Amino acid sequence: MAKDKVLTEKTDVNTPFKDFVRKFKKQKTALVALAFIIMLVILSFISYQIAPYGINEYDYTAIMQGPSAAHWFGTDEFGRDLFSRIICGTRISLSVGLFSVSIAAICGTVLGLLGGYYGGFLDSCIMRVCDVLFAFPGIILAIAIIAILGSGMTNVVIAVAVFSTPTFARLVRSTTLATKGNVFVQAAKNIGDSDARILFRHILPSAIPNIIVQYTMSIGTSILTASSLSFLGMGAQPPTPEWGLLLSNGRTYMMTSWHITLFPGLAIFFTVLCFNLLGDGLRDALDPKLSD
Amino acid sequence: MLRYIVKRIIGVIPTLIIVVTFVFFFVRMIPGDPARLVAGPQATLEDVEVIREELGLNEPIPKQYVEYVTGLLHGDLGDSLRTKRPVALEVSLRYMNTVKLTVFSLVWSVIVGVLLGVWSGKHRSKWQDYTGMTLAISGISMPSFWIGFLLIMVFAVNLNWFPTTGADSWKSFVLPGIALGTSIAAIIARFTRSSIIEVMKEDYIRTARAKGLREKTVIWKHAFRNAMISVVTVVGLQFGFLLGGSVVTESVFAFPGLGSLLVESVNYRDYNAIQSLILIFSLHFIVINLVVDILYALLNPEIKLS
Repeated sequence: MAKDKVLTEKTDVNTPFKDFVRKFKKQKTALVALAFIIMLVILSFISYQIAPYGINEYDYTAIMQGPSAAHWFGTDEFGRDLFSRIICGTRISLSVGLFSVSIAAICGTVLGLLGGYYGGFLDSCIMRVCDVLFAFPGIILAIAIIAILGSGMTNVVIAVAVFSTPTFARLVRSTTLATKGNVFVQAAKNIGDSDARILFRHILPSAIPNIIVQYTMSIGTSILTASSLSFLGMGAQPPTPEWGLLLSNGRTYMMTSWHITLFPGLAIFFTVLCFNLLGDGLRDALDPKLSD
Repeated sequence: MLRYIVKRIIGVIPTLIIVVTFVFFFVRMIPGDPARLVAGPQATLEDVEVIREELGLNEPIPKQYVEYVTGLLHGDLGDSLRTKRPVALEVSLRYMNTVKLTVFSLVWSVIVGVLLGVWSGKHRSKWQDYTGMTLAISGISMPSFWIGFLLIMVFAVNLNWFPTTGADSWKSFVLPGIALGTSIAAIIARFTRSSIIEVMKEDYIRTARAKGLREKTVIWKHAFRNAMISVVTVVGLQFGFLLGGSVVTESVFAFPGLGSLLVESVNYRDYNAIQSLILIFSLHFIVINLVVDILYALLNPEIKLS
């Protein structure tokens, strides 16, 4: 039975996935954004090797200099090269985004599947918890969690993961509710598939497209939130080259050295923009309403 | 209709109770001894005891809870550990500033967002659409504190048009309001655009055009009105972002509002103030969502059937 299913899926040239890939290839902006994201990921691995200066390399002869050939983005109050610090910060922002949203996506998906499939008391409990988490504006909840756990990047990841989880839970729950009545789920039940197998092999695949879109969009938001928290002094601590922290450091010198605030902000803006453009492209490729 | 409203109001009560309970346990969830944490590492045992007393942590938990809820119902939020004044007083001094700031941000961002969205939507896939949507996605992707800094650098430092900090005159609200509202305007613009595009496919738009109505009338009387029904929900949801965003924006501008009070309280580990502010923020959010739901039902006749 299971073998047959695999065979038909493979022989069918018009699987939803192939359909999606075809439509996604038409989204030129999203493809460019994806290329930039891949570059950022590569950069995050090699930044420490290619950075022209060390991230904590003090040079008191070159303090607060504007952009020049030697220092592309200028230097800060200790003469540290801002360009090197910003490209090394890529790793921090990207990993915070990926970690927090991955945790949220996994937890949210499991909760959504369980709630949607079993219904009843379990579902009510899960949805009630989501309601409560939704009753706090995202960053306020993150601040509350950090006030409990203390500041630091690990706690920022936890905080962002907690407030992103309910979105995934609701998303997956609604797909589960819509899918569990289908014939193929009934058939899987009749041949004696375990609940786990039904949930992950038969129901989950229909939720995957929505999860991917939400995942991409959430990474942008999570990078923004994490940098906001660092900016407020609740995330990364000096001398970490986290972008939000670099910006917050620049505010002291705003009147004289504009470059210290401009460039870290541009880095955040560019990264988040790429994830949002990719998310838009993915959504358009998946949404049948927009395909005309 | 009235029944629906009453039902929605009653439906909020469990969430309220859970939120209050969550906020109550908030201080008690701090790992280790909260009193010791507040007092700091150098504090003597007596100091820690005094703070424990102030936080009301000596009583058994159920008694603490009852006292906390009774206090809340009387508007008593406890004393700020930082200023030693009642938190309710601290909040009342800054409350109106944040309300003015968020309302100002919401008003301008709704106007700009809706206009930009309609403009993009009716010129779908033309240069107007691309311009509008490029602006919108940029607005969503920019950190608000960065926008704040850029505004300060240009309009406060270089041009000297607006003050950099404070909340003394209407001028003080302009820059923080712009920084706070930008992403909201962008989100509203994107949403308005897609709902205009959606509505433009409807039969009644074709009918309106077939009748020979001017394009302006078709857009504003037929498309716009129907598109607005779903935009209302999004606007309501943005209020939560505004409340959250105010925390960051107010810190950039050293604006005396509830958001900056929250940041100061977190930095000072003023748990009485933190828990009250979190409660205030979420209560506002819940109430606004409720109002939006009801408004949505009033605007959209279809919801009455279900």
